Amino acid sequence: MAYAEAIFLNSAIYIIAAMGLAVFTGYTGLFSLGHAAFMAVGAYAASILTYFYRWPFLPALAVGVVLSALASFVIGYPTLRARLRSDYFAIATLGFGEAVKVILENFDLTQGARGLPGIQKLTGPGNTTLLLVLSIWLCRNFLRSSYGRRVIAIGQDHIAAEMIGIPLLPNQLLSLGISAGFSGLAGGLLAHYTTFIQPSIFSMDLSSLITAGVVCGGMGSLTGPFVAVTLFVVIPELFRGLALWRLVFYGMLLVVIINWRPRGLFGYEELSVRNLPKLFVIMGITLGLTMATVVYKALVRANAYEAAALLAALGAMGAIALLVSLLGRGVSRLLEPVVPRVRGAWQEAFARFVRLLDPLLGTMGRKRRPRAVVPGEDGDGAVGGEDTLLRILGLRKSFGGVVAVDGLDLEVERGEILGLIGPNGSGKTTVFNLMSGVYPVDGGEILLAGKNIAGLSPPDIVTAGVARTFQNIRLFGSMTALENVTTALRGGADYSLAEAFLRWPWTVWKDEARLREETLMLLDLVGLADQADRTAGTLPYGLQRKLEIARALALRPRLLLLDEPAAGMNPREAEDLVDLIRRVHDGGRVSIILIEHHMDVVMSLCKRIAVLNFGRKIAQGSPYEIQSDPGVLRAYLGEKVNVAVR
Amino acid sequence: MFFQTVITGLSIGSVYALMAVGYSLVFSVLNFSNFAHGAIITLGAYIAWAIMVAHLSVPFLPALLLSIAGAGFLAFLNERIAYSTLRRRRAPSLYLMISAMGVSICLQNLLYATVGAKLYAIPAVFAQDSFVFRDITVSKMDIFAFWFSTLSIAVLHLILTRTKVGMAIRAASRDMEMVSALGVNLDVLVAVLFFIAGGLGGMAGVFMGIKYMVYPSMGWITNKAYIGAVIGGLGSLPGAIIGGLLLGLLEALVSIASIGGTSLSTFRDVFSFGILVALLIVRPTGLFGRTVEEKL
Repeated sequence: MAYAEAIFLNSAIYIIAAMGLAVFTGYTGLFSLGHAAFMAVGAYAASILTYFYRWPFLPALAVGVVLSALASFVIGYPTLRARLRSDYFAIATLGFGEAVKVILENFDLTQGARGLPGIQKLTGPGNTTLLLVLSIWLCRNFLRSSYGRRVIAIGQDHIAAEMIGIPLLPNQLLSLGISAGFSGLAGGLLAHYTTFIQPSIFSMDLSSLITAGVVCGGMGSLTGPFVAVTLFVVIPELFRGLALWRLVFYGMLLVVIINWRPRGLFGYEELSVRNLPKLFVIMGITLGLTMATVVYKALVRANAYEAAALLAALGAMGAIALLVSLLGRGVSRLLEPVVPRVRGAWQEAFARFVRLLDPLLGTMGRKRRPRAVVPGEDGDGAVGGEDTLLRILGLRKSFGGVVAVDGLDLEVERGEILGLIGPNGSGKTTVFNLMSGVYPVDGGEILLAGKNIAGLSPPDIVTAGVARTFQNIRLFGSMTALENVTTALRGGADYSLAEAFLRWPWTVWKDEARLREETLMLLDLVGLADQADRTAGTLPYGLQRKLEIARALALRPRLLLLDEPAAGMNPREAEDLVDLIRRVHDGGRVSIILIEHHMDVVMSLCKRIAVLNFGRKIAQGSPYEIQSDPGVLRAYLGEKVNVAVR
Repeated sequence: MFFQTVITGLSIGSVYALMAVGYSLVFSVLNFSNFAHGAIITLGAYIAWAIMVAHLSVPFLPALLLSIAGAGFLAFLNERIAYSTLRRRRAPSLYLMISAMGVSICLQNLLYATVGAKLYAIPAVFAQDSFVFRDITVSKMDIFAFWFSTLSIAVLHLILTRTKVGMAIRAASRDMEMVSALGVNLDVLVAVLFFIAGGLGGMAGVFMGIKYMVYPSMGWITNKAYIGAVIGGLGSLPGAIIGGLLLGLLEALVSIASIGGTSLSTFRDVFSFGILVALLIVRPTGLFGRTVEEKL
């Protein structure tokens, strides 16, 4: 019994640590190789409090969690602010981890390398189970909240995330802080379980073990690290004679997974009825291994030939694995019709309970943040009575010696659809990149309703009312269509971080329902309402383009930048798109700049067209004027050459 | 005292430099930090120990050459097994780094599981001998190591500037795609690259083994060499050499320094890792590196 308890406690503690890391690494895609340091902070803080100051266990753990989260800012703030290359970031965290270890080795309060012996054994199955369940619940709630969605979006495509107004630094720090907090919790539990800690426990090996758990379990998943870490703890127990080989095996596993199965066990999926069979297969193999070792030992003890024992053991393993896998399939099929019904009933019951307490808790002490004013609806048409929404003056950008945009002047009238055309490499997309803040501007002004937005950060530009799509689609591939748009919704959710963690029904539910409704309206506008719950990456190309437009619209822009929306479409799809853009244009409530090579699309949508060549505007006017402009013809077709004919 | 410190610093610095060159060579072409280099270095030292002490009692010089060849071969295998798939898939450099970490964990613990955690000494031919000049002592082994390292780096320089494959390597460090398009067999080029890096690592491993004994986690010290490479600028060979020497010197000087009576020597490693983190943030290109965009 004590043995089972030891295995359980070990797994639980490392699961908490690995899920903590998963909240950061699994979702932001940034690798931390210094999480052992955060475990160390939590372990030492909690142990010192219970050991020297006789604090009770839970408050001591809580202090450890808070200190770990704070420690994460020490390394996180400078490195994330500097936007290091992702591998440099990993190395910096590794360096931080080693530095923390050395500091602990030379610190009086932590008794240096000798460590702290004789910590009270306070970690038991009861409180560990409770904390494990709580941790899973909190992580899950966070990731399903608007805060979590922002973090996930950054991990999927950080450029697209910035372009929908998500600032990187605070969100990455938030996820790192939460992640470090859980590591600290795991550290505190570990210290009060082993009753002895010393700095060398929290080494790079521990960090890489947790990392291995996340990588093998699968990025973007909580189920994955849970299963992987459990296996990491359980399987070595079966081969105790080979304890030294444990890390050899983890190292090899890391290489194999990253090379040949980057998705890991449960990459980007959580446990559901559909992947239940997979879980059963894994359980079956583990059980089979257990049985195999038992059979092997029993047969060897009964003086059987070793080869025969091995054969019997393998046979037993295969049989059990097969049996459990089949069982998994059966269970999955059995549950398939039941689960939605049970879930529905439960949700209904819980909703009734929530409604019951609504008068009591619904408005309890909440000050609603004023809804963000939607530009374009705030009557800014009145500002100076000006008709020009956008005025670009002398915009310049060069890359090394190449001048991509060379003193460009451009105007967009309020409510207009301006076509921006030009040969390949004429600087059209660069203009969009400058307007949306992807590149810093070398010179010139970009006045949006009279305010210069050149040099603002992308999120500030979004707030000012500019949204864009990308020439090469940049959706958040593993999020659903719905989530893609919801994440971008202007104003977003109203609830606080604490409410998000608790998934507080009286605020989170209501808000999420409202967001869902707003999102569905937008999806309906672009004709994607029936695809709402599909993963964005699996949508066909044309629908992905539409989804990107819906995501941009969710920002409620007054100026929408469409970068080749019809690229790769056949004439019928292009026609369909023209209708969509007309709908989006909404009688002029949204002004649009359209970069496009499909001339029929441009000609049918735009009353005015500007032509770029070599970063300069070479012509501007009605479609008719453009078509007959000699400069434009020259740019597209080249100089007329007189060939002497003999 | 001061000069003795400088000598000590230079002698450890030259070993750092030898290892840092391995990091920088690989980084210059494949643009990732090969954390398995430490394990290769360790294995190089074990090869020397195995053939000199444990089994064959080969004399020092042939053993050194065999260790170089053996470590080079292991580095080549390492690339074939753990990186080539990722390289062909054009995976982000982070993936290569994680794979390298896996190799490092695997090999280090393989040593624990097979040879064991015991410390072994490699008998050095001239270990006990040293020159004494006034109050400065220089061990002959240090001088030999310094001389041999300089020689091999000179040879490396000749290879890179005078041979066809060397020039291909230098070209690949500018633009691998272009080199491939010109008909150079990238697999061969990368194999040579890893063989050279591993060989230099093996040599450093032997020198380190003589200085500090041979044990499975001796690769940890290569973290310092890596820091040296970052100081010099990852991907730059002169940078790696100067960075390694500089870090050795700085560490030696920090070790004898003290603030208000507290010796700083215990915080030497904090200092080194502090430099690493600060450099990555402020100037990731180090002294001589050039900016390379991350493969996204």
